[in-house]
Amino acid sequence: MNILEVKHLTKEFGGLTATSDINMTIKKNSITAVIGPNGAGKTTFFNMITAVYHPTSGDILLNGKSLVGLKPHQVSQFGITRTFQNIRLFENMTVLENVLVGMHQNLKSHWIGTLLQLPHIRKIEENARTTAYDILNYVGLENYVNENAGNLAYGAQRRLEIGRAIAAKPKVLLLDEPAAGMNPKETERLTNLIHDMRTKLDVTIILIEHDMNLVMKISDSIYVLDHGELIASGKPNEIRNNKKVIEAYLGKGAVSNG
Amino acid sequence: MLAHIIQNLPQVLIDGLTLGVVYAVVAIGYTMVYGILELINFAHGDVFMTGAFIGAIVLFLLMGMGFLAALPAILVFIIVIVIAAIATGLLGVGIERVAYRPLRKKNAPKLIALITSIGISFVLEDLVRFIAELKTGNYIVTAPPMFNHKFTLNLHSALPFFNNATFQSSFLLVLIVTIIMLIALDLFVNKTKWGMAMRAVAQDRDTASLMTINVNRVISVTFFIGSALGGATGVLFMIQYGTIDPYIGFILGIKAFTAAVLGGIGNIRGAMFGGVMLGLLEMFAASNLSIITHGAMGAEYKDVFAFIILILVLIFKPEGLFGKAVVEKV
Amino acid sequence: MTSLSAFFEKIAQSKKNQIILFLTYVIVTGAGLFLLPDSTIAFLLLLFSILILYYLNLNLRAKWVTGIVILAVVVPFIASFSDSYQTYMEVGTLVGIYCAMALGLNIVVGFAGLLDLGFIAFFAVGAYTYAIFASDQASKFMPFGHYPLSGGTFWIFIFIAAIVAAIFGILLGVPVLRVRGDYLAIVTLGFGEIIRILLNNMDHPINITNGSMGIASITPPSFFGISIGSSNQFYYIAFAIFLLVIYVVRKLEYSKLGRAWKAVRDNEIAAQSMGIPLVKTKLAAFAIGASFSGMMGVVFAAKQMFVDATSFTYLESTMVLVMVILGGMGSVPGVILGAAVVIILRTQVLTNISNWLSAMSSNYGISIPPALSPEKMQLLIFGILLIVFALYRTQGLIPHKNRKVDVAKLKKESEQAALTRKKTASGGADS
Repeated sequence: MNILEVKHLTKEFGGLTATSDINMTIKKNSITAVIGPNGAGKTTFFNMITAVYHPTSGDILLNGKSLVGLKPHQVSQFGITRTFQNIRLFENMTVLENVLVGMHQNLKSHWIGTLLQLPHIRKIEENARTTAYDILNYVGLENYVNENAGNLAYGAQRRLEIGRAIAAKPKVLLLDEPAAGMNPKETERLTNLIHDMRTKLDVTIILIEHDMNLVMKISDSIYVLDHGELIASGKPNEIRNNKKVIEAYLGKGAVSNG
Repeated sequence: MLAHIIQNLPQVLIDGLTLGVVYAVVAIGYTMVYGILELINFAHGDVFMTGAFIGAIVLFLLMGMGFLAALPAILVFIIVIVIAAIATGLLGVGIERVAYRPLRKKNAPKLIALITSIGISFVLEDLVRFIAELKTGNYIVTAPPMFNHKFTLNLHSALPFFNNATFQSSFLLVLIVTIIMLIALDLFVNKTKWGMAMRAVAQDRDTASLMTINVNRVISVTFFIGSALGGATGVLFMIQYGTIDPYIGFILGIKAFTAAVLGGIGNIRGAMFGGVMLGLLEMFAASNLSIITHGAMGAEYKDVFAFIILILVLIFKPEGLFGKAVVEKV
Repeated sequence: MTSLSAFFEKIAQSKKNQIILFLTYVIVTGAGLFLLPDSTIAFLLLLFSILILYYLNLNLRAKWVTGIVILAVVVPFIASFSDSYQTYMEVGTLVGIYCAMALGLNIVVGFAGLLDLGFIAFFAVGAYTYAIFASDQASKFMPFGHYPLSGGTFWIFIFIAAIVAAIFGILLGVPVLRVRGDYLAIVTLGFGEIIRILLNNMDHPINITNGSMGIASITPPSFFGISIGSSNQFYYIAFAIFLLVIYVVRKLEYSKLGRAWKAVRDNEIAAQSMGIPLVKTKLAAFAIGASFSGMMGVVFAAKQMFVDATSFTYLESTMVLVMVILGGMGSVPGVILGAAVVIILRTQVLTNISNWLSAMSSNYGISIPPALSPEKMQLLIFGILLIVFALYRTQGLIPHKNRKVDVAKLKKESEQAALTRKKTASGGADS
């Protein structure tokens, strides 16, 4: 079953085409990788799905419903959350609070109830903290609960972003270069986490990543972008041997010479 | 009603143009600093005010020495405006060194830089008030009259639907000097090495510094030029309007900022245009609001008018009339 | 030096010592004020006890109770023996008023990260709301009703003004919040000026605000028939609202809404991506912050019995901002301290130094030019404070600290919850 469909997605900035006519179908509960050289339009693609940018033309369908024209927070409420290439945590809030913000849209604790100290609101907040702790436990940050998010080490920040994103209980999770800047051990851990999330959380994962080992290991299917255009798609071993892909990465002539 | 508005039009144009060029030059100070640092330099209006007071001080000194009577007025004026411009230029460089550069080094949030600029603005206002009050006993200073020969533009006889318009010779002075400043600046920014460096830093500070441009020095030069222009305009303001006080910079600064936004912030020619346009609009409002609204709103609403323009532009066309839209990088 | 720090450490460790020392301090400064009833310094030292109390390592509730007792009973009682009783209480009232306002601005600037330079407008809205209806001003344009309304309506007007100010907050917010980042500062400044100009000119065509003449002879509030007119009575009103405001702020700070504010402040794009509606969240900050100012505006109008637009200038807006920056953006105790320091500096310290200087010059023939009078140097002093704090102590006098949760307790709860989940799951399988 397809959970996400992207049709003829195009984005232009002024006269510059960032992505042009991208089509994708993403199966439910799959792991999909979007790869391509720098400046290929991968992050722009994510930004359009999460409504940070509005596409110039084309459509994005989540379970058959169009997301185009929604506000970013509405997209999140529809069930798509993400992490960011250049980490965007709430740096002056604690690690726990970051996850609680992730849970924002699912919490029914209105502030007027908080002011009146209604018992069920207090219960909701208490349960939320427990759940947030569970999530931190899950991403391996249970020892940093009260730390300011800005003080975490780089790899831990990446994991906190994932924790925050899954706290929103997404149907589709977008990871923008989750392994960037990680050492092999951390990447290994991340790989396991992504696998585990797919089975445990029943979530569909799309990731942008440059680490080809990681991509080949975990993806069910791969889409390759170059200069804003979709040049190839398929299973990992199909992509591995695709001439166009090798050209895009290594430059024209690389195939015939090699 | 329409006939009345048309009758006053020549006078509105003259007064609006005078005010407009003043806005234009002050707006350039805002737009240059914003273009490079993305900082609203709240103190800039007060640099303009300080320029007016420095001009007044120099003028009084020259008068005390008897130069005012001995030298031709235009020479006195040139001495005054040059000294005021250099002094305020250095003041601007000093402000940048003391208040903004340390924050840039620390990579502090923009909010903090805004707050220091408000602080600087307070300090300047009060220091000037203090000095003026200490020397003259009153913080409102009336400059010795210069260039106050009155001209009447006899339009009525040729074009009977217009009233006659009057202006002082200082109007011509303001107009000529600001036009010279604007052209000189335009040439500087577009034709010289420093101007090119300035544009490069405005575009991308990091890349510019990789290209061996000394970013800090470019920023200093920017502050010097912007502040010197502002200070010189202060002198023009003093000569045109006669009285000055330490608080003239505040409202005028906001309006000049409005002009900068109107023309597209960061865009120097846009700021010039925005200033003149705002001056004309404001004078038009001041002389006609009462007629248009049948007395419900008078000239006292002209400031409201300017603020509403600011808010409308920021909401509907935040990039200004001549700016390009910016997309935040995610 | 080491012995001194060892001494303090010893005190910090023992609760009993802390209590004894604190009580001694209160008694000594209280006695000082009693014996030197006109000494501002004694009065300030007594107030300083609240700050000491804040830093004591005691039970939170005990600290609250002690603080309220000191401010509501001890200070007014001792001050009542002084000739300056009303002056002291006037300062107390002003501190209460500005604390509430600064806490309101703190929501906007400190929590939500939106620089508002026209905040005093909401105070003005509150003040005029009461002034118009509690004087005969309303009869000049209202087709029905008898004005002035009685002093008993004052209490209702506190809430009406809170709502009216909140509505103005939203009216301002709807257009303004579409404006990007630092432009917001200048637009709010413009808004503040627009409100001031309107208040100053709305005497024609319909006379709503009486223009630059201001509104005079505002009915004093009455409490079960007792007319309230003196500063020591207003002190308690301001104090009560101040306590209410602290309660609201403390609760909101760690609520879902409070987290949303801070998330928007720290990273707008990420906050949106987590399902936080940007405009609604920012509007809530504007409206709630404004409502505090509106309430205190009513108190201000009733206390002064006169309002005009000169009380609501840009300078006043920035003064509230100085309180927030000085105290520490986002820090509730800091902002309260900041407001107290600024008000006491303005009303007590600067005037006292000015008086002292002029006494010096008349007694000893030292001529000190009136331009130098510290009273007039407010702009300079607050300007320097802004610069120094922004450059060297951005977090303010009492920096904001995130509330820490009890991790051990969370862990236990989490394990318990897991256990119950397991039980219900297996229970479900059995049946």
